[in-house]
Amino acid sequence: MSETFRNRLLLVIALLLAAIYLFPLYWMYITALKTGSEMFATPPSFWPDDPQWSIFPFVFQLKGMGRFLWNSVVIASGSVALIAVLGTGAAYVLARYRNAWVDVGLFLVLMLQVLPASLMITPIFVLFTLTGILDFPRTAVILAIAAKSMPFFIVLVRATFMSVPMELEEAALVDGNSRIGAFWSIVLPLARNGILVSAILIFMQAFGEFVYSKSLIQEIELQPSSVGLNAFMGPNTNEWNRIMAFASIYVTPILATFVLLQRRIVSGLTSGALK
Amino acid sequence: MTTQIEFSGVNKHYGAYHALKDINLSIDKGSFVALVGPSGCGKSTLLRSLAGLEKITGGDISIAGEVVTTLPPRKRDVAMVFQSYALYPHMTVEENLTYSLRVHGVSKGERKKAAAEVAATTGLSDLLHRYPRELSGGQRQRVAMSRAIIRNPKAFLFDEPLSNLDAALRVHMRKEIRALHDRLGATSVYVTHDQIEAMTMADHVVVLRAGIIEQQGRPLDLYDKPANKFVAGFIGSPAMNFLPATVAEGRAATIDLGKGPIRLTIPVAAPIGSSVLIGIRPEHITLTAPGEGRFDAPVAFTESTGSTTFVSTATNPELMVVETGRRMVANGDLVGLAFADTAVHVFDGATEKRL
Repeated sequence: MSETFRNRLLLVIALLLAAIYLFPLYWMYITALKTGSEMFATPPSFWPDDPQWSIFPFVFQLKGMGRFLWNSVVIASGSVALIAVLGTGAAYVLARYRNAWVDVGLFLVLMLQVLPASLMITPIFVLFTLTGILDFPRTAVILAIAAKSMPFFIVLVRATFMSVPMELEEAALVDGNSRIGAFWSIVLPLARNGILVSAILIFMQAFGEFVYSKSLIQEIELQPSSVGLNAFMGPNTNEWNRIMAFASIYVTPILATFVLLQRRIVSGLTSGALK
Repeated sequence: MTTQIEFSGVNKHYGAYHALKDINLSIDKGSFVALVGPSGCGKSTLLRSLAGLEKITGGDISIAGEVVTTLPPRKRDVAMVFQSYALYPHMTVEENLTYSLRVHGVSKGERKKAAAEVAATTGLSDLLHRYPRELSGGQRQRVAMSRAIIRNPKAFLFDEPLSNLDAALRVHMRKEIRALHDRLGATSVYVTHDQIEAMTMADHVVVLRAGIIEQQGRPLDLYDKPANKFVAGFIGSPAMNFLPATVAEGRAATIDLGKGPIRLTIPVAAPIGSSVLIGIRPEHITLTAPGEGRFDAPVAFTESTGSTTFVSTATNPELMVVETGRRMVANGDLVGLAFADTAVHVFDGATEKRL
């Protein structure tokens, strides 16, 4: 088997796997564009005969999606801001100090990552009710998401900080800067890529978060898109095209961001983004 | 001479590991001091303690008369050149040079002027707007040096600054650093594992081993009168030959190279019958015809660099002889070895201290 043939074969396999993996996404888009009868036709059509483009503005209006998307953005931005500020500090400390307590800290951080949201929601709900945080439902969700996603951020950003040589910081200290000054002027700029990429990943996660939002937010005006989409579905739902249109409007911005930034995201994750 | 840097009773522990053991060292203003020793001897730890990058666990350090033991690095006013150069990758050469000035609140105009001045003296004028990744190893080294000299620190600290350069550039930079030191009239502390760097650059060499100062002094004093076997073996290249010997009557000692006892005159008195180590530097032995030297030995092999010939003898222990020029001896030839009485160093067999 020649080198080029093997490469082509692997490419074909990769494309095939990608196609299988992305099929639901494709199905979402074309179902949204289908008419009511075409939707239920057997065998199903793989391309709508008469694309119903008007369904997007219609669903957007009908379901008040502006509000849902706004709430999603608020929750995701709030979570990212909180995680970035606290997580960057935590990751730096965990990257720069090595002792038994740091090991314990890292272990606990990783263990938090293991606990599923559906398990954590009950104690969180009770705690937030007792402390009155539940009176600010979106803040409550931001706190819950921050607690859930922080470990992921810390682990990624810690690796980035570890790729910044200690000697650079020491050089800055000898050059007359303080520890904090050296962190701001040397370490942070060098770790910027890693932090940005981790923040983007967290944002995407938080943008699609469902369990906490569904459980903690009762008022429909404060719910994010993920909960709005869920409310669409009932036992006798047959308006699949509208649901798919809702879903399309919801995920397309995230997908677009990911496609635009994917080169940076991948390079930020693999390299230390240094030198 | 006033003292610029003083270590008094400095100790450093890493947990149970005792890295620096009661170091006492004073460094004169304007002198160039080399800290030299094998890896793990504590030389870098000593330098980093001076910079404030390591906290010492006992004793005091003072710089220019001021005790700095508990001060952070930024309040010690020293400049340091790191082994990896530690150039800030996200800053241009100019920004790298002027970082310390910026931290100290010097205005932008003055920073530019200072950078231009320093760059002119170190040959970096054309590179001010490049990034470190766009520079060669030698140029990076120069930037690291320039970054140190741009402010007028109380001392320059060098942590093996030449070990990442190729051999030719290293020899060149050696001279350049020394010239720079003389021109600035600065106090420099230079850490290296390379005894040749220490010998050629420094006014004062401090030999460390396992956290202890084994000996300090002028380079040639260390070469001529090493205080113990370790220093004798560490200073000088190739290393000194050591021969176990037994002290005999009449200021003499007998060695045994496998072919019966050989009597040598020694320059010191020692209890008769005690065991000692005889040290002779390879470059102090000359080859003669068999029977014309102190004793004869067969040649094991020779290596020639063109200007110098290294001859190893097939004896136990092996002896190394350095001859200038080309010496035509074949493996297995019997040669005579000659050396002056003054070339013989004697060390105590047990303590390894110089007698």
